[in-house]
Amino acid sequence: MNRFDEFALEEAVRIGEEIPGTEIEAISVGPGRVVSTLRKALERGAAAGTHILVEEERYMSPFETASLIASYAGTGHYDLIIAGVMAEDDMHCQVGQMIAAILEIRCATSVIHRGTIREETSVYIEREIEEGQRLCMEVALPAVITVQSGINRPRYPSLSNVLRAKNQEIRTIDANDLWDDDGRDQLISMRRPEASAKGVFLEGGSNEKARALIRILHERALI
Amino acid sequence: MMEDKIAIIAELSRGGFTRATHEVISFARELGSACAHSEIIIIPGKNIRGLAEEIARTSGIDVIGIEAETLDLYSAEPFKSAILDVLKDINPAYVCLPHSAMGFDLAPGIAVDLGAACITAVEEIHEDKKRICFSKSMWGGKIRAELVSMTQRAVLTVLPGAWTASVEEAFIAGSVRMVKANLALGASEITLMEAPGERESELPGADVIVSAGRGIGKEENLEMIRKLAGIFSRGAVGASRSVCDLGWLGHKHQIGFTGKTVSPGLYIACGISGAIQHISGMKDSQMVIAINIDPHAPIFNIADYCIVEDLTEFIPALLELVEISR
Repeated sequence: MNRFDEFALEEAVRIGEEIPGTEIEAISVGPGRVVSTLRKALERGAAAGTHILVEEERYMSPFETASLIASYAGTGHYDLIIAGVMAEDDMHCQVGQMIAAILEIRCATSVIHRGTIREETSVYIEREIEEGQRLCMEVALPAVITVQSGINRPRYPSLSNVLRAKNQEIRTIDANDLWDDDGRDQLISMRRPEASAKGVFLEGGSNEKARALIRILHERALI
Repeated sequence: MMEDKIAIIAELSRGGFTRATHEVISFARELGSACAHSEIIIIPGKNIRGLAEEIARTSGIDVIGIEAETLDLYSAEPFKSAILDVLKDINPAYVCLPHSAMGFDLAPGIAVDLGAACITAVEEIHEDKKRICFSKSMWGGKIRAELVSMTQRAVLTVLPGAWTASVEEAFIAGSVRMVKANLALGASEITLMEAPGERESELPGADVIVSAGRGIGKEENLEMIRKLAGIFSRGAVGASRSVCDLGWLGHKHQIGFTGKTVSPGLYIACGISGAIQHISGMKDSQMVIAINIDPHAPIFNIADYCIVEDLTEFIPALLELVEISR
């Protein structure tokens, strides 16, 4: 599971503990392999798992992913949709905001603290912004929030949840039944970034490197 | 008719433009010369006429200031609505924002509403077969990906630090037009606060920062990081975001995009892979030494001295040698 999503799921489980009767559903878009991620979500406390199946293994633009989730979520009545602030792999920071825009509901990103949910009408959140500052606000529900890492400490799965998750059915929905527009951007290449030429790799054994480093620190009068 | 504008959404903080905004202007100029479009700056805010005139004078770019009481501190609803009103009027080919907490909050929603592509955290642009390709980091900086827009319009966020703010003043000032945002009153209340523990940080005054990343393996290994910082007269311990998230160190130690920006005389990165979010907070250090067991770690791309070693063995050996040489 994407690390940021672990924080998102944990936040959902905490809301479930605060407000009895909350139903937590984990949703993932992708090929068959994402089922194992959904099962991990069940182990960590989600009550249900929904797999939006995209057959082929390919780059999905955030807009495609968001459209599929929004199209599915539009049929349910979710009070809160929680996502990670970004995916660890493609690092776009877009899906949550796009879901909110498509569904025309509120959105707050980079949430580092969540407070009380008031009578299912609003949630207090603090957004992490630059220079060690936070923006604090009430967000009217329904809403999408994307959470920053560190908002909580994700727990380990409990034995009872692990056993439950083993045999629980995960609902599969064919992406073609939800939405069939094209993505708006295309990935055309991926490569390793070039290394900068300026760096010097210290050579030799561990001891020689340590000696070389101390010499450098002395030369620069750092020690 | 083809749209021919590049709109820049300016960001304000503490009564002035953020550095990232000036960098977006540099980015937009490069994009503008690649596609022969002209730039326009849009500033949402409260009491911003002076700032609008200032940036029009220094940049030479035409400016539209959007004023409203509710545009004082950033929140998605009023900002998005005010900006979209102006954008629908200008009909730009590109909308550029900084990849900041404001920029990435706004950009995807604006793109959805404009029917535009959205490409975030752009680090480089170049032309290929008459298309403009946008490069960005993926997998924590291990991969550089190129994306192209498939639509007539695109909303872009620009990674802070990827372009340099221009210091030259324009010969001819841009025009300034002020508009009042047509916003419903009674927007939700927003307050600004300092993150807990922010004031206690030792990082700003340190000459040498020794930083720990997830590669230190376990919390107990922080002890050697502290000892290493201790050999310098004004040394301090820094950390990557993941180390703080694990609770090994408080967030006041965090360096990077969402933490502190530092520029000490010496920065020693221990077990830090070098994700772009971290690098943006320390790349102006005068000298960088990186210790990492992975020779492909992106941190080595910006380090002056690179040490490929298991730091749990290397640092104790180093400390011992320092002890002897004293």
